[in-house]
Amino acid sequence: MRLSRKNLFPIHPEAGSDRASGIVMRDVVLSRGGRRVLKHINLSLTERRIALVGANGSGKSSLVRLINGLLTPDAGSVEVCGQAVTDIGRAMPRLVGFLFQNPDHQIIFPTVAEEIGYGLRQLGVTRREAAARALAVLQENNCSDWAERPVSSLSEGQKQLVCILAVLVMAPRILVLDEHFASLDLATRTSFLARIDALDQQVILISHDLEAVAHYDRAVWLDGGRVVGDGPPAEVLPRYRALALERAGVLTPERL
Amino acid sequence: MISAYISGGGFLHRLPAGAKLAGLALTSLALLPVSDWRVMGVVLVAVVALYLPLGRAVLPTFKGLRPLLVLAALLLAFHIYLGTAEAGWLAVLRLFAMVLMATLVTLTTRMQDMLDALTPALGPLKVVGLKPQRLALAVTLVIRFTPLLVGLGLVLGEAHLARTGRRGNLRLVAPIAIQALRTADRVAEAIAARGGVDGVPPEARPRGDGPLRRAGPDDEDT
Amino acid sequence: MTKDRSLVHIALYAALIAALGLMPKFDIPIAAGIPVTAQSLGIMLAGIMLGPVRGALAVLLFLFVVALGAPLLAGGRGGLGAFAGPSVGFLVGFPVAAFVCGLVMRATRALPVFPAALAAAIGGGVIVLYAFGISGLALMAGLDLDAAARAVTVFIPGDLIKAVAAAMVAQSIARGLPSALISRT
Repeated sequence: MRLSRKNLFPIHPEAGSDRASGIVMRDVVLSRGGRRVLKHINLSLTERRIALVGANGSGKSSLVRLINGLLTPDAGSVEVCGQAVTDIGRAMPRLVGFLFQNPDHQIIFPTVAEEIGYGLRQLGVTRREAAARALAVLQENNCSDWAERPVSSLSEGQKQLVCILAVLVMAPRILVLDEHFASLDLATRTSFLARIDALDQQVILISHDLEAVAHYDRAVWLDGGRVVGDGPPAEVLPRYRALALERAGVLTPERL
Repeated sequence: MISAYISGGGFLHRLPAGAKLAGLALTSLALLPVSDWRVMGVVLVAVVALYLPLGRAVLPTFKGLRPLLVLAALLLAFHIYLGTAEAGWLAVLRLFAMVLMATLVTLTTRMQDMLDALTPALGPLKVVGLKPQRLALAVTLVIRFTPLLVGLGLVLGEAHLARTGRRGNLRLVAPIAIQALRTADRVAEAIAARGGVDGVPPEARPRGDGPLRRAGPDDEDT
Repeated sequence: MTKDRSLVHIALYAALIAALGLMPKFDIPIAAGIPVTAQSLGIMLAGIMLGPVRGALAVLLFLFVVALGAPLLAGGRGGLGAFAGPSVGFLVGFPVAAFVCGLVMRATRALPVFPAALAAAIGGGVIVLYAFGISGLALMAGLDLDAAARAVTVFIPGDLIKAVAAAMVAQSIARGLPSALISRT
């Protein structure tokens, strides 16, 4: 069922439905380091492909960290797949996969196969089974000879692929990417975004690359901790771009 | 990251890590009451003989023992000066015997096997929060971070050289630490996002849907 | 502090101790097995910055990884052999030194970072460490305590300099990243 803008805030999402996905935020308020970063956010994110845009410091990174419980709101509630985030607790990785900006902060293990297998081991899979599954995943992606390669020998783009595979292997229902492709060149980035598009999961992508998300189902624009734009990218993104260009002319060092 | 392990197929390599550790402990204890330096000399020769099957790969290890040789010489000289030459020989020979025995275990045991062997011994520490899963993760992180920090040191050293024309010194320690600590928070987040230091609890795991086979009580090494 | 963050910080300081031993520039070249390198600076720093318990854990983790076979001791030594040698007293003393450094930091909360860290570094990193080191040397080398003490006195000035360096580094870190001074939060 494709939700239209009219029923964006269902009061009673389907409870107990195992295959439900989607995120509901009600009146969320969040402060970090003494500063209000999110002010009364009300969002129901059920579309398959959602882009999150906004200036640095607008609260995007904080918002997505509420989804997988890395941050807890000071007020309001966050529900993922029909359950409150606080109830999901440590089972979260099963529902939400999260990809960070810098692969070097995510990759822990020296070889590719171990890194991919780690998520499975976290879910209780035996070491042998995890190794087999990791190998299978690499084969599916035409890089089976990467298994024993040291991560340090990979290029930036290759490391990003390892990070994505390492998260996808845990089979989450929702995938959140916090500017994951920011440091890649155009060709590599475009290729990755196409891969992401082909996934079954619901995808929430923070991006500064507006062209990349122009075809998404929905764009949410955050500014100063509030939602100031929400709807089809064709409507939201041009307004965001116009405001950004305007702002560029008046940015002082303090506001950088 | 290189470990001290030398691969091979000999008797010692095939012996389980736990057995080697137990053997090392027992032999070390047995050597303590020995008071005749000649007996100790024989033991030392026996230990060195155990190195022979490892072949030429051991030579770097022996080279690495040179500082110990220097120390031993100094120690012996000290003892002779104090008038306790025999005690000196005993001490020096015992030193070498113990070090070589312990090193032999390290050379013939993979780090992962060593970790697996030591983990049950640390079992009682679970009550204070040292779960084996956390220890394994901590070890992995140390191995992962160390080359990153050394690399950071080189990069900052280069920048320092470019700016001042002099090589870096202890002055670089603080910037290395600061950058490293900033990374620490990001890494902690990334680990939390994949289940945290304790992993996903059993109640939340998938019930056999698809290819993920949940580990049962009969499965080894979960 | 969440347990994820705690564990990562502990592992990070353990890695820092290792890295300080591996970086050639920081070596103060002295032959023999007794550790006289920037590595002991890392030990003091762990205690000063993380506090007694986490600091000691960081050092214990470092020693554990060394015991597993990683060549992380100054000069690229590692494995069980390092624990059988004459410097074992110092190795055993390392976590205790870090613990004491952390305790002194806690006790001197009222003081600014530099003098507090200096007191911690000397108390833990020199006095306590050498107590263990000398005992260990006496045991392994068959010397009596007095002789062992005389043997190591030559290294003490170098370690006092490192204590000052540790205090300076701690102060720098605290200024550049105030949240890093976990021993005082």
